[in-house]
Amino acid sequence: MGRKILFVTTDQQRYDALGCNGGVVARTPVVDALAANGIRYERAHPQNVVCMPSRATMLTGQHIRNHGVWMNGVPLPAEAPTVAGLLHDSGYRTGLFGKAHFEPFLDPFLRFPENRMGVSGATHDEAGPHRGFERMEFAGHGAAGLVHYGSWLRDNHPEHMAGYFPVLDMTLEVNHEGGGDTGAPQVKHNTVPRGIYHTDWVADRAISWLDGLDSAEDWFCWLSFPDPHHPWNPPQSELHRVPWRDLDLPEGYPEDASERERLLDSKPAHWRRWYDGDLVSNYEAPARWVPATLTADQVREVNAMVHIQNELVDEALGRVLSAIDARGWDDDLDVIYTTDHGEFQGDFGLLFKGPYHVDSLMRLPLVWRPAPSSTGQPAVVSEPVGLMDLAPTFCSIAGLDVPSWMDGVPLPLSGADAANSGRSGVITEWDSLHPNGTEVHLQSIVADQMLCTRYEAGTCHEGTEGELYDLTEDPLQRVNLWDDPAMGATRHDLVGALDETLPERPAILLPAEAAV
Amino acid sequence: MAEFTNEILIDAPADEVWAVVAAAERQAEWFPGMLSSTVEDGIRTIGTAAGGFLFEKILSVDHEQMRFEYTITGPLQFDHHLGALQVDTEGDSSRVSYTQEIRPEALTYALRAATGDALIGLKDLVETGTYSRGFQAADGEGA
Repeated sequence: MGRKILFVTTDQQRYDALGCNGGVVARTPVVDALAANGIRYERAHPQNVVCMPSRATMLTGQHIRNHGVWMNGVPLPAEAPTVAGLLHDSGYRTGLFGKAHFEPFLDPFLRFPENRMGVSGATHDEAGPHRGFERMEFAGHGAAGLVHYGSWLRDNHPEHMAGYFPVLDMTLEVNHEGGGDTGAPQVKHNTVPRGIYHTDWVADRAISWLDGLDSAEDWFCWLSFPDPHHPWNPPQSELHRVPWRDLDLPEGYPEDASERERLLDSKPAHWRRWYDGDLVSNYEAPARWVPATLTADQVREVNAMVHIQNELVDEALGRVLSAIDARGWDDDLDVIYTTDHGEFQGDFGLLFKGPYHVDSLMRLPLVWRPAPSSTGQPAVVSEPVGLMDLAPTFCSIAGLDVPSWMDGVPLPLSGADAANSGRSGVITEWDSLHPNGTEVHLQSIVADQMLCTRYEAGTCHEGTEGELYDLTEDPLQRVNLWDDPAMGATRHDLVGALDETLPERPAILLPAEAAV
Repeated sequence: MAEFTNEILIDAPADEVWAVVAAAERQAEWFPGMLSSTVEDGIRTIGTAAGGFLFEKILSVDHEQMRFEYTITGPLQFDHHLGALQVDTEGDSSRVSYTQEIRPEALTYALRAATGDALIGLKDLVETGTYSRGFQAADGEGA
């Protein structure tokens, strides 16, 4: 009997969401305890800051350019190798519960297997494991969508379907309407009872699957919570947890408009153009919403909703861990907790995400509680690691060789382990080709406590722009050192390291087959 | 506004291809993911595999030019949509061009991929008399 693996992901969660990472609002005792007994990574970065590319990297252990999913809407090729497939082939039972998003969501003609499973209610592919998972039960960001949760809610609690905020509008753009007390975009007071909110449904489905496994079996369970991604509509019964009026504004939100604009103007042009409503470069934020209209109270209310959603995730994870403990598995259980990318949550006066490589979107929570029966010891790792290191880590836990098609390496067990591994930095990249003709291309490297972003020519940039931040001296990335002559050598070295680490772009880009 | 065109070469005379394209109620026979297509009073109602409906107003069926035009009118509420199927003779074969214009652009990529599939479905139906694409995604041909 080997080690079991519980892989927990949230969606669009910031590093500072968790108590163990310094968060002071949401109570997250479950993941905090995992961190206290495990390894907490202070610089975990995604290889892309939107869902599909990032999740494809988690599943394959590959750079964006190697798995090919360069943006939301690009499906991971059906033949792509996956760590779930490796684990399944080595005898692991494999299941995924919650948000997958390896294939596009926006699929009116049901072109993709995940959506066909969601609509039909099938929990497995008749042809065999789908992307390595023998069981999959999907949830998305509400009642809508081609997912099992939506079908279940419609069949069992149709009166609560309308409780959720509609993520998309009637043109299928991300909905710019707002609600709640402040009219903040994608906020709504949700009438759905807490027990049937998707966070608890995901936990319930995972527990049900685990209950059906033989005690002697090894398993890999991806517990994939859709929260705290927008829409921000936790059950209204839970709003008392974090009254938004009592909330301090986040440190990253400059309340003074002139200060916000000064900061945005110190960055490449697309920052300010988006803020002013002059640019739609990607699908991930509402095209008809103008960030400059965001008020301080809206920032407070959005943040309150997110904190509540984070607490619900933590409690749901606690239920899953209790169920696992009751089976006597805990001593052999590895738990890895992370997310796919971050969220502005008011930083720089912005919400949502896009081609903006700063800690708001790039610094992620990552905690690994190794199996108590293993040799792992509590540690804090400050060296940068990437989500592409997750799949190799799962191989390592299972005693499998890391295959050559994976680009990542197993996560370090300690700071010393990281220092000895010769890691040279972590890459994050972005390419977007909006149907309106807007093109944005940028690549970043985090190394030696510096964050360096290089822009390629597109419709917003000439290809000479960049961003360079000292993460120690400037934790909010407010002082762009790219054009500082004193930083020329550092910039040169980091761009060189970026070029050395980044794989070649594929000769032919996979086609985007949906907006998301 | 976004605009895209998918094309495919079909090994059949243009009038034979046009007969299928012009029969608006037959679209579900060759468009993967459409479960039904009915026409009443110039409005085509599409039942989708995802469980929804699309309502399309047929703008023109030009037998002389072999051109079919329609616009999606609901339940999605686009600022602008135009779909056009053009059949042209190319030697002993036919070229079918499927163009769509759309604003806002959110559905652009999904429509482009789906119409790529649809042209393959149309080719299958016309050339073999059978429709076998099911839910298979386009493999590049015609997309």
